[in-house]
Amino acid sequence: MSKFVRGAAVAGAAACLLASLASPAWAQDKTSIEWWYANGGRVEEGIQKIIADFNASRDKYEVVGIKKGNYEETFAAMIAAYRVGQHPSIIQSSERTFLTMIDSNAIVPVSELMTQQGYTVDWANFVKPVADFYLVGDTPAAMPFNSSTAVMWYNADHFKAAGFDGPAATWPEFEKQLYAIKEKGISECAMALNSDFYWSLIEGYSSINDYPFGTKGNGFEGLDTEYVYNTTPVVQQVERLKKWIDDGVIQLAGQGLSPMQLYTSGTCSTISASTAGHADVEANAKFNWSAAFQPHEEGVEPHNSNIGGAALWVLKGKTDAENAAAAAFLNFIAQPDTQAWWSEWTGYVPVTNAAYEKMKAAGFFEKHPTREIAIKQLSQGTPTVNSRGFRFGNSNQTSAILVEEIQAAWTGQKTVQQALDAAVSRGNEVLRQYEQLHAAQ
Amino acid sequence: MQPSEATALKGAPKGALFSGWSAGLAGLLAPSEEGLKRSYFKGTGLAAALLSPQLIILLFFFFVPSWKALSLAFVQIDPFGGKSVFVGLRNFVELFASENYRYSAWLTFWFTITQNIITLVIAGALAFAIDHIVRARYAYRTVILLPYAIAPVVTGAMWAFLFNPSVGPVAGWLHAMGLPWDPNLRPWDAVVLITMASVWNHICYDFIFLTAAMLAVPQSLREAAAIDGASQWRRFRTITVPLVMPTVFYLFIINFVYGLFDTFGIIDAVTRGGPAGSTTTLVYKVYQDGFVNLNLGSSAAQSIVLMALAVLFTILQFRALDRRVNYQV
Repeated sequence: MSKFVRGAAVAGAAACLLASLASPAWAQDKTSIEWWYANGGRVEEGIQKIIADFNASRDKYEVVGIKKGNYEETFAAMIAAYRVGQHPSIIQSSERTFLTMIDSNAIVPVSELMTQQGYTVDWANFVKPVADFYLVGDTPAAMPFNSSTAVMWYNADHFKAAGFDGPAATWPEFEKQLYAIKEKGISECAMALNSDFYWSLIEGYSSINDYPFGTKGNGFEGLDTEYVYNTTPVVQQVERLKKWIDDGVIQLAGQGLSPMQLYTSGTCSTISASTAGHADVEANAKFNWSAAFQPHEEGVEPHNSNIGGAALWVLKGKTDAENAAAAAFLNFIAQPDTQAWWSEWTGYVPVTNAAYEKMKAAGFFEKHPTREIAIKQLSQGTPTVNSRGFRFGNSNQTSAILVEEIQAAWTGQKTVQQALDAAVSRGNEVLRQYEQLHAAQ
Repeated sequence: MQPSEATALKGAPKGALFSGWSAGLAGLLAPSEEGLKRSYFKGTGLAAALLSPQLIILLFFFFVPSWKALSLAFVQIDPFGGKSVFVGLRNFVELFASENYRYSAWLTFWFTITQNIITLVIAGALAFAIDHIVRARYAYRTVILLPYAIAPVVTGAMWAFLFNPSVGPVAGWLHAMGLPWDPNLRPWDAVVLITMASVWNHICYDFIFLTAAMLAVPQSLREAAAIDGASQWRRFRTITVPLVMPTVFYLFIINFVYGLFDTFGIIDAVTRGGPAGSTTTLVYKVYQDGFVNLNLGSSAAQSIVLMALAVLFTILQFRALDRRVNYQV
């Protein structure tokens, strides 16, 4: 932690210094732009490496990367900065802020910027389920960067001891396995609940099993969308999670501890978490770890899972030189070499087919089979209206509401149905406010 | 013009104790002639010059933000500042109709009262004990003061870890004693945890003041009482307590302000307002709704409510303080 803080402080100080030193001669030589990002640990090291490589290869441009906290904190910092005209050129923002960003009137669509600056990006070469999420019309509004999806991490030693090869394909079978692991005394904690479970186990669950999350094609077809997940098997999924919590099968990490630590330390046998966890697991798990596809319901042909992670957006109100620098940097990021290196370093999926093929050709996935699960899971089945993604305004807020209400079910203050009804009705209020604000544009 | 200036000046020493604006405000609300005796200016130029630094601070740290909050409280606004719709009182209506907000207000009320009293009692007991210890008094005092040097966020992270049901050692002892401790799933445990952490972080502050107040009790009074045959407890009760009462009262108010506004860091590190919003105090909710959820309208409306509360408290404080504390130079 302190390392990131120090890193951020140093980067911040460096940025201030640069700004104060920027003499006219300097400005002509080099255009410096900022990129605010939200990842820590090994992922952050990767980001700084990409930036360093870019800066070393260009005389005219310089990118300064600054970590502003987690996704929500980075987003809030960006908005505060935008309102006073002190915003960075490039901002990394999570997938759920997509609609908010599009409607913000604060961005330059990436495809437009690249064309303006004379770069040809082969958008068709981007991996389909990833690129599709960021499309407006035919061209993407943001550059997919660290794209992920949740996979089922498991402790192969625990599963072997319980007499299983690996996690089952369906939720009821998977449940039996978790109970067996607990009852046979192999592990006190059969599963750790990740803090982004609303993304992996609720939204992802709806995608894979093809259940609607909201009306109007999950918001793709209009701002007058409403949440409907309180009428789908999501209810049964939350009931299931509650039962596991009550029976001590699943553990919540709480504050002061990351849920992923419960898995990498060998305490908990499974965790449903992002494929980006590879960076952490590979470095820290001292047991026979592995990963599998997310389970689905019985009798359901599984569809693609939902994407996570973040994309890079370019903000408005910058000079032409700064836009040129941003375009040059994004072009650098879109190169297959950068993409492949980034994916190998972090565990995020390769976002272009070229990078994917390159990694395949190098035999990367034969050596690291779990690295391919995410991209295969993102492409499984035919995408449907329910599985292609989510387009809800103020999604940070509705997700926070959903988590709060589900916690009320877990603490026993509400039944699962009551909690989800409350989450839907509060969520819909937020959607109506958003509609009122953005309908008349 | 002159009387109000003079009273504002009279408010200045209090401003050192509290935030400046509240002092000025209370000075205007409760004019008194006593202060005119010595600090009285005939011309207005010097007075204005002397006041201006304070007024500029007030302008930028109170009036401008207040105006911003007021202007946001009556609109629904796109966080980027592009679009806004005037909604009248709807932000306030929705706030007071919201079950979560009412819970938050109720929680804040009990939380501030409880941590206030527990802090005072423990700090009082420690100060009393120190007052009667001869050996290694400074060592004890230093140890007790240490927590004050620790930032609330660090305090929070520490408590969160110690009481974490999966890995925390203290949670382990509680489980061994057969207690079903789990602040992630049991709202009451979470409330107890943030209360304990807040008290722990603030005891030292109260302790410093109470120790100083007890030291200031004239030794001659105590000795006289001792000669008259009063027991140690009786001397404490009838001599020390009345003389430290103004300090206790001052601390009572400071603790309130601490509980209301400064426990944010602890809550953010220990529970993040959860589970299910059970430890979301009013201030934490302002932050959550404003900076995480980006619902600026509602957040601004909540700030206005908090500001009204703060103003109310300040008026009550100074009404009460003026009676109990003698500021006469």
